[in-house]
Amino acid sequence: MIDAFIAAFAGSPWPLYLALYLAVGWVLIRPTGPIMGQLASIMGWPIEMTQRLAGAIGLPYLFLLPNMLVFGLFTFAPMFINLGFAVTEGQSILFDERAFAGLDNLRRLVAETQIDTGAANLEDDKFFSAVYDTAIFVIFQVPVMILVALFSALALNRQIIARGFWRAVFFYPVMLSPVVVGFLWSLILKRQGVLSQSLIMWGWIEEPIQWLTDPSWTMFWSVFVYTWAHLGFYMLILLAGLQAIPRDVYEAAEMDGTSAFRQLTRITIPLLAPTLLVVTVLSLIKAFQAFEELYAMSVRWSSLVAYIFETSGLRGQATANGLGVAAMASLIVAAVLIVLSLLQVWLSSRGARQ
Amino acid sequence: MTAKFTSTAIAALMVASAAPAFADEITFLCYQDGNECDVIGEMLPEFTAATGHNVNMETVAYDVIRDQLENQLQTDAAPDVARVTNLGGLNQYYLDLAPYVDRGTWEAAYGATLPWFRAPGAGDDGIYGWMTQLTVTGPYVNVSLFEDAGVDMPGDGATWDDWATALAEVQAATGVTAGLAMDRTAHRMAGPAFSYGARFFDDAGNPILVDEGFRNFAETFVGWHASGLMPVEGWPAGEGTQYRNAAPLFQSGEAVMHMSGSWMINSYSENITDFEWRAVPAPCGVGGCGAMPGGAAITAFKSTDAPEAAAAFIDFLASEENAARFASATRNITAHQGLQASGVDYGDASPAVAAALSVFAANAGKAAETTPQAYTFQGYAKNFVIYGVVPDYLTKAITGEMSLDDALAAIDADVAAQIAQ
Repeated sequence: MIDAFIAAFAGSPWPLYLALYLAVGWVLIRPTGPIMGQLASIMGWPIEMTQRLAGAIGLPYLFLLPNMLVFGLFTFAPMFINLGFAVTEGQSILFDERAFAGLDNLRRLVAETQIDTGAANLEDDKFFSAVYDTAIFVIFQVPVMILVALFSALALNRQIIARGFWRAVFFYPVMLSPVVVGFLWSLILKRQGVLSQSLIMWGWIEEPIQWLTDPSWTMFWSVFVYTWAHLGFYMLILLAGLQAIPRDVYEAAEMDGTSAFRQLTRITIPLLAPTLLVVTVLSLIKAFQAFEELYAMSVRWSSLVAYIFETSGLRGQATANGLGVAAMASLIVAAVLIVLSLLQVWLSSRGARQ
Repeated sequence: MTAKFTSTAIAALMVASAAPAFADEITFLCYQDGNECDVIGEMLPEFTAATGHNVNMETVAYDVIRDQLENQLQTDAAPDVARVTNLGGLNQYYLDLAPYVDRGTWEAAYGATLPWFRAPGAGDDGIYGWMTQLTVTGPYVNVSLFEDAGVDMPGDGATWDDWATALAEVQAATGVTAGLAMDRTAHRMAGPAFSYGARFFDDAGNPILVDEGFRNFAETFVGWHASGLMPVEGWPAGEGTQYRNAAPLFQSGEAVMHMSGSWMINSYSENITDFEWRAVPAPCGVGGCGAMPGGAAITAFKSTDAPEAAAAFIDFLASEENAARFASATRNITAHQGLQASGVDYGDASPAVAAALSVFAANAGKAAETTPQAYTFQGYAKNFVIYGVVPDYLTKAITGEMSLDDALAAIDADVAAQIAQ
């Protein structure tokens, strides 16, 4: 191995370059102190020099810079571009081909009369129906998931047999790609799918039920599948929260003869409240953004993200003002989400003060 | 080391300058329904040998062409040449091939399809692309199901009502999921609607979607869903402008008829093994025997650095010899008018494929005679808007979310809004 190492550098003047590098380092740094420390300083002189030049306060920002560049390029820049699309009109994605339109896109989105044709506007119906359906989805999905996640976390926090296995079972769907989840469940739920066929075989139903197409079932299965897919993540956070509650509080309660239910309502839930709040905010935001699983299952309703995605024309063919209208819709959704998040923070801080 | 680098650089320069000055490299973005790009790929060495130009072909999924190409064109990140289907819609980006090719030859061979690429209104006489193939919509039927049910198949000139009755009988007798399955897009629905007398455009070429014929067909179409002739997992299962392919249902033997088009011939001949299928003539009605013509084309873009090479490449493919080879190897209907007259030799094509090709060719001819609005619709630059908006609202009428009257009014209003300048 040493031979190979020597051979790799044979014929190149690398010792000279190394000596030069160290010499430059020694001249620039002029290290003091123990010999090993001096050697380390000389070896890493570019870092030492940067630290000296940037100072102790500047250094953290220097290390943040690469991340901020990536973040700026892929998060902040699109946000401003989106704002630009919302207040300009036209089919092009280039700003020099888009005319400034002020709030025209807002009118195209929510006004009763279509401003370009003078006829009745239909975009508002599509948008509000997406808002309405998404609201229904959020109202059912978030509480259901938090409750189920809480109960599974409580169960898996107890000394049950094969606890690690059960935790893995509940967490497993989180690791699946959303598209895989969607296709998996559409195999179960389609007309010739496992569910309908099993129910027919057992004689419970006569005809296959269109679980994903039937308007009375499609929302139920959307909530069910979305909860199934994301449950494990929130359960894990709650589990961590449960394990952070000190054991001695329970021991004290048990000595006082407190019932298990009273322990739950008076100790576990109050001490878990900060974690529950985090879970609520996270799952609320996530539910408003629901899209991938639902799209892959092709459910019979449009979520807000699906509406924006389709209206933008970035998939399929662009329409006259679709991009601007979609950008405007996304801004409205963002505003609502900001308000909701602030409300949550305010409620929690009020709760903490009491 | 420096000396070594210099000598390498000089050598590289020498190699570069030794290549002929006229040899350009062009990029070609291709998609295929069957083996179209593979067939073109086999022709590339001949093109390079003849002209010295290199073609760098990239085969992608159709979604890439449909969703990304226009944005690439807007940002100058586009390929030099691409295979496209939105012929009129991309007009502003096309390179006019006229200065580089022989206009007389092109007009004689492709005169009927050249207008599909041109800007709306008079004044544009550019040559923008080669129609790789003509496609025509039309139905396929599952012959085995008809035989199992003991129902006679309606003959040439039968109406949609005749067919609907026969399909319902077969469906009832065999218990399959659907009598009639149709891809969820107005492109497939347009042919039947023409048959019912829908005009789609006024005399000035402006879209007037909802007229008496369209209304009659829409009522029938909603009725076909209500009676169960058409499946719930077809149109009603889609949301908004979403496209849904009905081919898997037909291929699984669960639909008696699939309203599709000639582009499926190759796929069905390869993938359907457990029943007999056949393409049947487009059903008729008071408005004629409607079918939608269409097809894919290879076009070059203005943004190219090598317009001469790009034009030479398209001219090479469009030659009678290569067009014949392409049509034969891909089992497609050629757009070359000389070949249409003399006939393409499909070699070892199976009888079902050969029969299907002639049925679809006849569909196109009959549509040109009886429903010329089909050709207007195909050449209309914003036809993609109509393809999506019609299913959106007709679905709502089918599921009962909207009355048919409201849905029809909404179709007119929404199309007007989406195409507004």
